[in-house]
Amino acid sequence: MEPTNIELYDLVLKDAPFIIAGYGVLWAALVVYISLVLRRILRLEREVKAVEDSVARRTGDAVS
Amino acid sequence: MRQLKVALVLLIVGGLMTTAAFFMAFYTAEVQSFGTVTLSQQLDTAYPLTEAGAGGFTYGRPWFSQKIFYFHVPVALASFLVLIIAAYFAVRMLLTKRKEFDTKSRIAMETTLVYVMLTMLTGVLWTRASWGVWWDWEPRLTTYFILTLMVIAYFVLRNSIEDEERRAVYGAVFAIIAAINAPISFFITRIIPSNHPVVFKSGFATSNLIPFLTAMFGMLMLGFAIYVIRMSEERLRERLDAAKTALEG
Repeated sequence: MEPTNIELYDLVLKDAPFIIAGYGVLWAALVVYISLVLRRILRLEREVKAVEDSVARRTGDAVS
Repeated sequence: MRQLKVALVLLIVGGLMTTAAFFMAFYTAEVQSFGTVTLSQQLDTAYPLTEAGAGGFTYGRPWFSQKIFYFHVPVALASFLVLIIAAYFAVRMLLTKRKEFDTKSRIAMETTLVYVMLTMLTGVLWTRASWGVWWDWEPRLTTYFILTLMVIAYFVLRNSIEDEERRAVYGAVFAIIAAINAPISFFITRIIPSNHPVVFKSGFATSNLIPFLTAMFGMLMLGFAIYVIRMSEERLRERLDAAKTALEG
């Protein structure tokens, strides 16, 4: 290979893994964290609905 | 639920902006140089030739690891900002003793923790690529490391206190102390000689500024979205506790 190209490719390739890892880690961490929080919210919403329905049923029974 | 919808919109816009910044960083941003490299032949390249002598042709050495800058600096600046917001809520909590501000301060500290960890991870990778070492005890890295430990310690402190009121007061005081570290860490490279680059001091090409600002606003939107989503979760939790109490009573 052309020595000039070897020098240039060497410069790029030495840094590339760190740049890729930098962006990868950042994106993966954000996506995983936000997904976990959103999943927790969906589960909580289901739980809240179930408990509030039970409260409403009990209140309804007490009234009737 | 309206807040959650706003957060999801912010999440999408912030995600799109940071993704756009990523592409701009590689496609349109100028490659900065770091020292020089002498090559045997003249290159047909965008890198300006600085010298043509007996030893060959000297070019500005392309500094590719600088590309991490477009995410590392926005996430670091956002971490400082969110930490200051956490301290603001902590001050309001101490003044009013309202639980609501304690929750807001805690959630802002949690967002800070996410951003601080991301800053450390991207920073360590940049340090390894640029300086050849994973860590260096220079002023910026040291002060930021202390800040990271303080943010982690905030949660350790909170978890170690049973009494809710005491936990809120101690947490608020600690959040304020941690936030004092933010301006120290930001300005330290401008006060003490440091290996760490000082952003904006040496000028900035427009092609570099646009992706940086895009990533900066995108990162702030993502931070705000994370905060709002976590607050929605806390409110749902409170609603669940209230409903359970009503069911038991």
